[in-house]
Amino acid sequence: MNEFKLAQPKTLEQTTAFLSQNQGKAFVMAGGTDLLDEIKNNTLQPEVVVDLAAVPGLDTISKEQKFLKIGALTRIVDLIEDSDIKKHFPGLVQAALSLATPQLRNVGTVGGNLCQRPRCWYYRDPEVNCRKKGGSRCFAMRGKNRYHAIFGGGVCYIVFPSDLAPALISLDARAVIATGKGEKTLPLAEFYSLPRQNIRKENILGNSEILKEIQLPLPRAGFKSTYLKLKERGTWDFAVVSVAVSGRVSQGAFQDLRLVCGGIAPIPWRLTKAEGFIKGKPASEDLLRQAVQEELKEARPLSENGYKADLLEVAVYRAAMSLVE
Amino acid sequence: MSKREIFDNIEEVGLLYKEETGEIISTIPPAPPADTTEEFKYIGGYTSRIDGKRIATGKAPFAQDIKLKGMLIGKILRSPHAKAEVMGIDLGAAQKLKGVKAAIKLTNGTVNYVGQQVAAVAAVDEKTAEKALALIKVDYNPLPHTVTEEKCQEEGSPQVHSKNPNVTKFRDYKRGDVEAGFKQADIVLERTYSTAVEIHHPTETHGSIAKWEGNRVTVWDSTQAVHSVRNALARVLKIPAGQVIVIKRYMGGGFGSKLGLNEQTVVAALLAKAAQRPVKVFNSRKENALCVGNRPSTVQEMKGGVKKDGTITALSLINYTCGGIGRGDGCDVPFNEMYKCDNCTVENYTLYTNTGASRAMRAPGVTQGTFGNDGFLDELAAAIGMDPLEFRRKNYVTKNLGGTGIPYSSKGLDQCYELGAKAIGWERRNPRPGEGSGKFRRGIGMASQIWWGAGVPGTKADVCVYADGTVEARCGTQDIGCGTRTHMAVVAAETLGLAPEDITVKLGNSDYPYAPISGGSLTVPSVAPAVRDAALKAADWLKQLAADRLKVETDNIVLADKKLFAADDPEKSVTIAQLARQIRRETVFHGERKGLPQGYAYNSFGAHFAEVEVDTETGKIRVIKVVAAHDVGRVINKKTAESQVIGGITQGISATLFEQRILDQNTGTLVNPNLRDYKIATSQDIPEIVPIFVDIIDPRINILGTKGLGEPPRIPVSAAIGNAVYNAIGVPVREIPMTPDKVLAVLKQKEALT
Repeated sequence: MNEFKLAQPKTLEQTTAFLSQNQGKAFVMAGGTDLLDEIKNNTLQPEVVVDLAAVPGLDTISKEQKFLKIGALTRIVDLIEDSDIKKHFPGLVQAALSLATPQLRNVGTVGGNLCQRPRCWYYRDPEVNCRKKGGSRCFAMRGKNRYHAIFGGGVCYIVFPSDLAPALISLDARAVIATGKGEKTLPLAEFYSLPRQNIRKENILGNSEILKEIQLPLPRAGFKSTYLKLKERGTWDFAVVSVAVSGRVSQGAFQDLRLVCGGIAPIPWRLTKAEGFIKGKPASEDLLRQAVQEELKEARPLSENGYKADLLEVAVYRAAMSLVE
Repeated sequence: MSKREIFDNIEEVGLLYKEETGEIISTIPPAPPADTTEEFKYIGGYTSRIDGKRIATGKAPFAQDIKLKGMLIGKILRSPHAKAEVMGIDLGAAQKLKGVKAAIKLTNGTVNYVGQQVAAVAAVDEKTAEKALALIKVDYNPLPHTVTEEKCQEEGSPQVHSKNPNVTKFRDYKRGDVEAGFKQADIVLERTYSTAVEIHHPTETHGSIAKWEGNRVTVWDSTQAVHSVRNALARVLKIPAGQVIVIKRYMGGGFGSKLGLNEQTVVAALLAKAAQRPVKVFNSRKENALCVGNRPSTVQEMKGGVKKDGTITALSLINYTCGGIGRGDGCDVPFNEMYKCDNCTVENYTLYTNTGASRAMRAPGVTQGTFGNDGFLDELAAAIGMDPLEFRRKNYVTKNLGGTGIPYSSKGLDQCYELGAKAIGWERRNPRPGEGSGKFRRGIGMASQIWWGAGVPGTKADVCVYADGTVEARCGTQDIGCGTRTHMAVVAAETLGLAPEDITVKLGNSDYPYAPISGGSLTVPSVAPAVRDAALKAADWLKQLAADRLKVETDNIVLADKKLFAADDPEKSVTIAQLARQIRRETVFHGERKGLPQGYAYNSFGAHFAEVEVDTETGKIRVIKVVAAHDVGRVINKKTAESQVIGGITQGISATLFEQRILDQNTGTLVNPNLRDYKIATSQDIPEIVPIFVDIIDPRINILGTKGLGEPPRIPVSAAIGNAVYNAIGVPVREIPMTPDKVLAVLKQKEALT
C-alpha cells in the first residue's frame, strides 16, 4: 500500500474543482469497499483519495412527482429498506440483496457500486501489466478466463461486476453527473463504455466529474421487474451470469420487456435482439430460449467460459417467466 | 500428512511402522486394556470449551496480538519468477533507509517458484519494512519453467529438480495377481478421477515473533507443533535445543500447513539476532497462498474388476499427483485397504512443477483417494445393478489391506452404515442413478472413511496438585482450535472428582512434557491417555493421604464431587485442599500414553451420507444434508467432537464445490491469491449436518479406548457428495471442485450418448 493524501471536500463544487486540479492523481471514494481494497492490494497507487463523506445531500433517497432521486452515497442497505423502492422496484431490491454481504451492504454505496472497478484477476494483480493498466496484452484471452466476458470483449475481457447497474438500466434509470460547470443527465445505459472506446475506464466520467445521483422513473401500472443472479456460492460472490428483467406482460404476452445482463460483458449488456424477438409474442420458455440463441450468435466465448452461454439462456427464461402470472 | 510423514515424526519415540502389514510396533509396553464398564460424568458428555468465552469475546491472545517492547516488523522479499538464477542481491539501499534495523539474504542460488524467499528486512514499522523491500535490488536471470501438471510431463519440458525427472515414481503397492483377477471379473471398468490443488488458508496466516536473550531465543508461533519447531529451529540456528522455547497460545487454524518449522520463523529469529531486538514476521494472505503449502492435485486412473455377485476381483490404481516442487500425495489408502479384494496394485507418480511445495493437508492422500475410490465403487456397484451400500457391506473387511492383513483392533463401520443410512433415509434414494425427473434432481450418496488415529506412544503429561488444593494439567501439546484445553480439563476433572472448570490447563509450550504434532489426528489419543495416567496417579496419592487422615482402608476411599470420603461412611470426608495443605508444596504426577499391543491394526472409521439437489440447467449443486457417522472409539467430549465433525464437513463441502488454486498456464502467476477469488464455502452453502458417534471403546488402543477425530470428518465428504450427485443425475462428476461448468459438461456428454 502506498502513502496517499486524504481530501475531504465539503461541497460538490470543491470536489470537482479539486479533481480538476489533480487530474489522474486523485481517486474518488464513496463507501471505500472497493477502492481501499485496490489500494491495499497495490492495484492502485493514488496520490490523493477524495472522500465524499462530508459532501452533504448525497446519501438520501427522495421522491419527485415522476421519479425517485437516489443520491450516489446512499448505502445499499438504505436502498433495500426504502419503502418506495420496495413498493415499485422489486427487481432492484433483489439485485441489491444479491450483492456482497450484509457487512459490505452496510458500508457500500449505490454510486460506488455503479463505479466499481472490474474484478478481473489479471487487472487486480499489481504485478501484471495488462492492457487495462496500459500494457500491451490481455492475459485473460489465452489464460484463465472462466469468469470473463462472452460479449463485448476483443481488446479486454473484463466483466462489469455490478448487480445494481443491470437492474437500474432495465428500469430506465438516468445518471446525474456533477461537472465543474454544473450538472448533466444521461441514461445510465449510456454511462458505461466498452474497452474499445476507452480501455482504461468502464464509464464516461471525465477526470473532474463524479456520479452525483440516479433518477429512477416511477413505473406505469402493470410494470414488473425481477433480478436473477447465478453465482457459485450462496453469498459473497459476483455474478457468473445475471439478468434484470422489467416491463409488462399482458394476456400472457411480453409487451416491452427489457433484458439487461451482468457478468457476461465489460458493461451491463442489454439483449436488444432477444427483446425484439419476444416482443408481443406469447410468453413461453421456448420463446425465450430461442430469443437468447439469437443473441448468442454474437457471443465470442473464450477457452473456459463457454458455459456462460448455457447459463444465460437459463437465467433469461427463468427470470422472464417469473413475471408471467 | 501421509502415513510415512506421521511415522517419520513418531520414530523419535521409538515406534516402527511396517508398511507391508500396516502394523505399528512400539518399543513402549502397552497399558492395560481400556475399562469399558466405568461410568463417567464428564467424559463422553457435553462440556463447553473452557476457553470459549475468551475466544468469542476477543480476549484470547493470538500470536498476531503479541506486542513486545522494541519489537520490529519483519518482511520477506519473494521471487516474482517461477524459476531464476539469483545473480546478486544488493541490500545497501534498504539498509540505509531510516528505521531499518536489519536486512538479510535468504538465498544464494536459484529460486524455484513464485513466492520463494529471497531476502528479508526488519524495520520499526510495517510501512518502513515494505519500503525497504522495494529498495532491495535482486539481479535475476530468469530460466525456463513449468507450472502446470500437463506441461511438466511434456517432452523437453524444463526439469524442475536436477536430480529427479518431472515425473517420478515414489511408491508402489502390490498384492495378489491383478491380471488374473481381471480375467475372473464379469465386468471391468476403467475410470479416471481427479482433484484440484487446494490451499489450506487458515483464518490466521502464518507468523512468528522471535526474541533473543543472550543465546536463548523465545518464539511465539502460530504452530501445530511446539516441540518439532523447537527441535528444528535449534538445528537451523545451531544452538542447543534447550536454548529454544516455542510458545503457542491461541491460533486460527493450520490444517497441516503449520506442522513443523516454518520459513518465516527462521527469518524472524535471524532478523531478531541481527537487529538485537524482537522481530515479528507475519505472512500476508497472498504469501499464504503462494508459499506455505497446499494439497497436491491428483489424477487417479483406476481399473476394477467385479463379479455380478458383488465380488471385487481386482483393483489397480495409477496416481499422478502434483505438489509443486514438493512431493505429491500417495493414494494407496483407501484404495488398497477399504474393501475386500485379494488382487491390488498401486503406483504413485509425483509430478514436479515450479510452484510452491505441497504440505500435509487434512488427511493427505486419503482425502483425494477416497474421492476416487468411493466414487469408483459406486460406478462398479451400478455396473452390476447392486445398491452401493449393499455392495460395501458385501465387501466389508475386519482385517486390514482389503481383508488380507492383520485384524483391526476395533471397527464400527458396520454400525456407521446402519445408523447413517437410517438418519439420511437411504431408502429414499433413486434405486438406479438418475432415475428422477425434472430440472431439479435430488440424490443420496454415501462413502466410507478410514484413517489412523492411535496417537503416539510415549506422549507425556503432568498433573500438578498445588498446596492450595487446586489442580493443573500440563502438556506440551497445542490447541489448534479443536478444543484440546477442554478435553484435557475433562479427563483430569473426571479422574479427580472435580469439574472441568476447576482444572488449570497449560499447553502450547515446548518446555512442557513431550506431545506430538497436532496433526494426523494424533492429539486426543496421545494426550488424553497421558493426562488420564497422570491424574490416576494423583488420585491414588490423594486416596492414600485421605485413607491415612480418615483412618480407613485406601480401597474404601471414594474420590468424587470434589472430595474424598469413605464409601461405607460418607460422613468421613476430606477435601483435596485439606490434603494438599498438609503437604505444603505442589506435587507433580507424570503420566504417559503407553504403547500399542502388537498384532493389530489401529484405524478410525466412518461413513458419510449426503443428500443433494442438482439444478440440471445451471449445473449448481446444493447440498441439502450430510449425516456423518464416525467410529473414533470412546468420545472424550461430545460437544467439541461434534464441532470437529461440522468443521470437517464444512471444509469438505467447500473443497468439493468451490476450492481450487488457479495458475495462469502461460506466466505461472497465481490468479486467485485472495479469498475473493479462491472461493471458500460461506454459511449459505452449509446445510444441516448430523454428527453421529458409534462410541465403541477400543479395548487395546489406550487406557481410554479413544481414537483421533482430526481428519476423519473431512475424508469422505467429497465422495459422498459426488455419489449423491451421481444418484441424482445418473452420471458421475469425476473431478473436484464440481463447479457448474463441469456439471453441465457431464450432463451434455450424457445427453449426447442417449
